[in-house]
Amino acid sequence: SIDTLMSSDKEKDPDVIPEDSSLLTLRIRKKALERREETIIVDRACRQETLAYEMESHAIGKRPDNPTDLVEEGELLLTLNIFYPVIFQKHKDHKPYQTVLVLGSQKLAELRDSISCVSDLQIGGEFSSQPDQAPEHISKDLYKSAFFYFEGIFYNDKRYPDCRDLSRTIIEWSESHDRGYGNLRSVKMEDYTFNDLSLKIGFPYLFCHQGNCEHIIIITDIRLIHHDDCLDRNLYPLLIKKHWLCTRKCFVCKMYTARWVTNKDSLAPEDPCFFCDVCFRMLHYDVEGNKLGEFLAYPYVDPGIFN
Amino acid sequence: MSSVPGLQADCEELLGAFQEADTVRFERFAELWRERRFHTIFYGRIRALERNKLTKKTLELAQQYFLPPYAFQIRVGALYLLYGLYSTQLCQPKQKIRIALKDWPEIQRFQQDLIDSQHYDAAYIFRTLRLARAFHFTAMPKLLNYRTKKKIQENEFKEEFKDPSNRVNSLITNDVLEELMNIHDHYQKMKCVISADKSQPDKALSLIKDEFVFTLKDITLEHQEWQQNRMKLFLNAKETDEISNKKEEGTLLESEGSERANALARIKYRSYSAVVEASKSRRHRQVKLESSESGSNYGKSPNRSKKNSRRPQPARRRDSLEIKVAKETVTRHIGMPVITEEDNSDEE
Repeated sequence: SIDTLMSSDKEKDPDVIPEDSSLLTLRIRKKALERREETIIVDRACRQETLAYEMESHAIGKRPDNPTDLVEEGELLLTLNIFYPVIFQKHKDHKPYQTVLVLGSQKLAELRDSISCVSDLQIGGEFSSQPDQAPEHISKDLYKSAFFYFEGIFYNDKRYPDCRDLSRTIIEWSESHDRGYGNLRSVKMEDYTFNDLSLKIGFPYLFCHQGNCEHIIIITDIRLIHHDDCLDRNLYPLLIKKHWLCTRKCFVCKMYTARWVTNKDSLAPEDPCFFCDVCFRMLHYDVEGNKLGEFLAYPYVDPGIFN
Repeated sequence: MSSVPGLQADCEELLGAFQEADTVRFERFAELWRERRFHTIFYGRIRALERNKLTKKTLELAQQYFLPPYAFQIRVGALYLLYGLYSTQLCQPKQKIRIALKDWPEIQRFQQDLIDSQHYDAAYIFRTLRLARAFHFTAMPKLLNYRTKKKIQENEFKEEFKDPSNRVNSLITNDVLEELMNIHDHYQKMKCVISADKSQPDKALSLIKDEFVFTLKDITLEHQEWQQNRMKLFLNAKETDEISNKKEEGTLLESEGSERANALARIKYRSYSAVVEASKSRRHRQVKLESSESGSNYGKSPNRSKKNSRRPQPARRRDSLEIKVAKETVTRHIGMPVITEEDNSDEE
């Protein structure tokens, strides 16, 4: 009986704001809506908004097929903001970031695997003479080391034999003189879960890989898992928000994302110049595959490749 | 965090009306809600993403009124408001109410208070929300949001909603009083044991006033009443600044007298939780209060009848305080009540 006291008397359309409303909120909203109707021709969600909403809500309420993958009741859910390392001028005020949900019982190494950074896919080397051999060794395979820095402790990735301790340099530096940084320690990433850490909410921490690619990590929220959340352990760490970066298109066709960048190119109008794969080959190589003109070509991975 | 325009004004208006209505019954709140058709606050063509954000912000704003230092009535109103907003939101799946971990003991105490004072409808509503899994148990109350703003908006909540910060009350709580009672009893017993006459302590040993615990409690009550009256006077003074008519003043003073009686009744009701009776036999005091003042409709009239007070002293004190209110001529400026050394002069 208490419930029925709240509901409205008859079915009203939630899109229409009632005329004689006494609520200030609705009056303001009505004015904004009227303004929107006057200025916008087609009023519908753009694809960025659809994508953002999809990302946020696609995993809500999911349950696993395998009951052993079910997240248990007292599990903690952390919300992390991982900032991109790209430094564009237009990002001066609001640095772009992606938001990831992790469970408290997950290992740090799992988070590390889920962070997709464009610098992992970079291919080093000049390939103008042998364009077909380009995508052989991406940086992710070559330089596997990485570390997290939380509260004075460096968590290094030591799963593979060729992972080096990148934090050693920093620890030595801080110990060499009395720089006032206290005790910095170095441990293995794969031995620790998030439940073992003591964290500050809102405080910037660091994730470093590839030797010099640094991401800032900020924890925005810690809460208990809820019945309506996604309870499939395999889906975590779950990406719920990503910044949309515009990709650079090929200079020639302006349609495909750039895959090559050339410097000192006599055939190109600007330096550096971006080309998609097809246009690149058509312009710089003849039918037999001989190099035409003088140029230096590097494979290019656009930061927007994860869109 | 950018707030929803106009939302704070609407919520404060509703809670203000609820406070004026001077009751904690859900039926009254539902009437006020229906008058304003508050459920339409989510209307307007809002797309899904925006709607999620909006609902989250609405619930967060309403949740702030649910916690201390707001007055008891405001907090009950906030509970009803949260229930209403949570049930009528248009998001699917429903957005949840965030409560920080540090606030949970406070809220559980609040719920216990509700049950103790027989506000069963409020307790039921809280329980419904819990069963509907409407809460997120978080570490921090506010979800962080990173936007560089030119200035940080300070949320100014209305002063009238807050309980006057009562340092005296927070010091002399019921726990402290119970402790004092216990220690005092122990002390008396010790005195009896070591003195010649086993039933009574030696005259030479009576160094303190025996009834000091009750005196302390009464003084605290008086202080609270004084503070309440001072606040009411201040509010009235704001209104009467424009009125220079002497006649108006006369009626105002008169109404102030009855207002003080009402205020006293209200304080007495609210103060039961702050300065609770030292022993179980005083439970009935609430019952007596409601029956003696016909105007107030706080709480449901209890069905069971309790015995009258076994101790004549506290009843005498309470009645005398009331008489003092009715007879006393109100002066414009109320000074702090003077606390003298003698026991009996407190009540005049």
